[in-house]
Amino acid sequence: MIQRSHRPMMLLALALAPALVIAAPKPGERLSFVSCPIVRDTRSVPCWLSEHAGELYYLTIQSDVSAEVQPPMLGHQVLVEGVVSDAPQICGGVVLKSVRLSVMPERDANCDTMLPADDRYTIDFNPRPPGPSGGRLAFAPDPGAAKPPPKYEGRQTIEIYFDFDKGVSFRHPADLVSVLERARAIGAKSGSVTGMRGAHRLSDGTLLQESPGIAQRRADEVARLLEGAGLNLPLTTYTADGESEADGVEDWRSRRVTVVLEP
Amino acid sequence: MLTMKRLLSILSLSAACAAALFFSQPARSQWWAPSDGRSLPAYVEYANPSGRIGIVNASGAIETKGHPFFEALGRNGRACVSCHQPADGMSVAVASIVKRWHETKGADPLFAAIDGANCPTLPVADAQSHSLLLERGLFRIPLPWPPVDAAGHRITPEFTLEVVRDPTGCNTDRVYGIAGERHEVSVYRRPRPAANLRYVASARFGVTPFIGKTGALALVDPETGKPVNMNMMADAREATLKTQAQSAAHGHLELARALSPKEVDAIRDFELQLYAAQAFSNGAGVLNEPGGPSGLGPQAMAQGSDGVLGNNTTRFVIPMENKWADLPQGQDAADRERNAFRESVQRGHDVFFFRTFWISDAMHINTVGLGNPIKRTCSTCHGMHMTGMDTANGWMDLGTTNHPWALEPAESPWAKKLPELPLFKITCRADLPPHPFLGRTIYTQDPGRALISGKCEDVGAIVIQQFRGLAARAPYFSNGSAGSLREVVDFYDRRFNIRYTEQEKTDLVNFLSVL
Repeated sequence: MIQRSHRPMMLLALALAPALVIAAPKPGERLSFVSCPIVRDTRSVPCWLSEHAGELYYLTIQSDVSAEVQPPMLGHQVLVEGVVSDAPQICGGVVLKSVRLSVMPERDANCDTMLPADDRYTIDFNPRPPGPSGGRLAFAPDPGAAKPPPKYEGRQTIEIYFDFDKGVSFRHPADLVSVLERARAIGAKSGSVTGMRGAHRLSDGTLLQESPGIAQRRADEVARLLEGAGLNLPLTTYTADGESEADGVEDWRSRRVTVVLEP
Repeated sequence: MLTMKRLLSILSLSAACAAALFFSQPARSQWWAPSDGRSLPAYVEYANPSGRIGIVNASGAIETKGHPFFEALGRNGRACVSCHQPADGMSVAVASIVKRWHETKGADPLFAAIDGANCPTLPVADAQSHSLLLERGLFRIPLPWPPVDAAGHRITPEFTLEVVRDPTGCNTDRVYGIAGERHEVSVYRRPRPAANLRYVASARFGVTPFIGKTGALALVDPETGKPVNMNMMADAREATLKTQAQSAAHGHLELARALSPKEVDAIRDFELQLYAAQAFSNGAGVLNEPGGPSGLGPQAMAQGSDGVLGNNTTRFVIPMENKWADLPQGQDAADRERNAFRESVQRGHDVFFFRTFWISDAMHINTVGLGNPIKRTCSTCHGMHMTGMDTANGWMDLGTTNHPWALEPAESPWAKKLPELPLFKITCRADLPPHPFLGRTIYTQDPGRALISGKCEDVGAIVIQQFRGLAARAPYFSNGSAGSLREVVDFYDRRFNIRYTEQEKTDLVNFLSVL
């Protein structure tokens, strides 16, 4: 009896399930998910994709260190945040705008998919070929477009963003140099360094948080590096937790250190 | 406006170029003993199996009598030149080491027990005690464990270090071992060339207070307080040529006192004006002839620009201007043979520069925003104009010392060759991110940069070496694991599953042999 009374509901659920899984993402929809990256080779540079809820998303292509969106890594899952766009698909994937990628630190041997070049998928933009460059970085500003150096006055707040559960990396020399320059420019007398533990509200509702001690480690590391590079002023370190900021909208901003310099 | 010093330098270089045209025969005496007292000419060539290497003193001939690079200063009778031989491209080839062993019956100061033996405790003048030097050209490098920073402060490493295999006995020795009186770890490395150092020490590219690949603090020049490029030595532990000279005098020469400022300046100045590159190839002929490829020959090294990224089609790593492509048949058999070899060199250059493959799981290249894997070429990592080094902060793990890629003899009951190098087990702390490609347990013959930084991610990361004068200084890689240029190419072919054709391998070897 019970089985029979539930059968219509089960059938309905079964009928709807595939539709739910393969429902096309709507343009403008924000997505946040953790998944394996996928490499698809092309005749030119490879492109990077990731699958979520039965849909393939285009993340970025290989270029060089000047790219705003840098490719993830096979052997690791990637945390993807972005907004679904209605742009034509690239490499067979739905294009995400404002995409932000963070390689997850732990190894995942399942993330090993490399797809061969396929004539259906070509790249019609090519900021840099797969070999040597043409003499400049792919996204370097025009030499003539150089802006005058910024003038810094008064209190300075610098936000430095991190990969998930990671400390200072190749991403940060320019940020750290900027802190030194601003401190010099305003004649900073004191400062603070606040490390935050990031938190993410994923599209499936899960709260994904970084390791408990990461906020302090980031604050200590940034303060130590700045002092080591000659920033000679009292720096107070604080910690914060990004859980309250986790709403699925640019949650990557919660993986940060905020440096405040006081003149 | 030219300064007088620069003008003299150019005039000396012109003289060296002119000399090169007249003195194309090799120098008679190849080996430089300490306190030899000879003059090192403005230009000299020495024979090697692939032809001849050319040495340019851009400032003119060097009188070596009394010169601290050439004089035996320490108590073991060595000089800098002992391990930085002009005939061997300012490194020292294993063939020269073996020859010297036989000529002196092991008494040459090259074989000093402190680092010319597998361990100082082993019996002297017994070839077995010096097997790593005699077979692979390796010197013992003792480093403090745990590491200490440039200011002498102890660093807390992110990993523990265990000795899994100790064929030399030194890492478990009661004096020299990790748990011994000195708290040292012994690794075994090839001496790097003490030439073309204007390029190696250049601070013109990517030098900031923070290391470009990791964000960590860069070493600073203790005299100026300015950051340096950290491209010297296998592990970038020395900031400048001056600090390196002091360290080497203390460690390798066993000099009890510090070098005087005058001595340090003399060594640094000598090294910064010295250039070495293959000048004559048995296959390709004269490499520095007028109108030839502009990146070949030692004079090109003396004239080139340092601190330039060459991984692009405007500067190139080794500029050849396609000059050896599609050459005419030639008038006779010798011409045809030479032109065929030159075309092979050109093709090898193109393989090096343009042939793509997947570079994967290489620490400090796949981790710097390029992705893992990346479809690139040899010149992605070997991108420094004229040298083929990495341009700044050049350490990477290309697999030469870490398992599973490091070359090891096959373990079997029938194996005739036993492992020669120590093997360490690295266990990275569980509360920190693991090594992105090797996890938290790593086996390595040489932890490389990690012995200095204490970082798990640096295990097996080795500063990339320059490509010049290769034909004069086999074997290759920091651990001497490639006995020939073909073995270098074969290593990369396996490591990155490149699947070079035989023709590509031959062409690459020929290209490398003329550098």
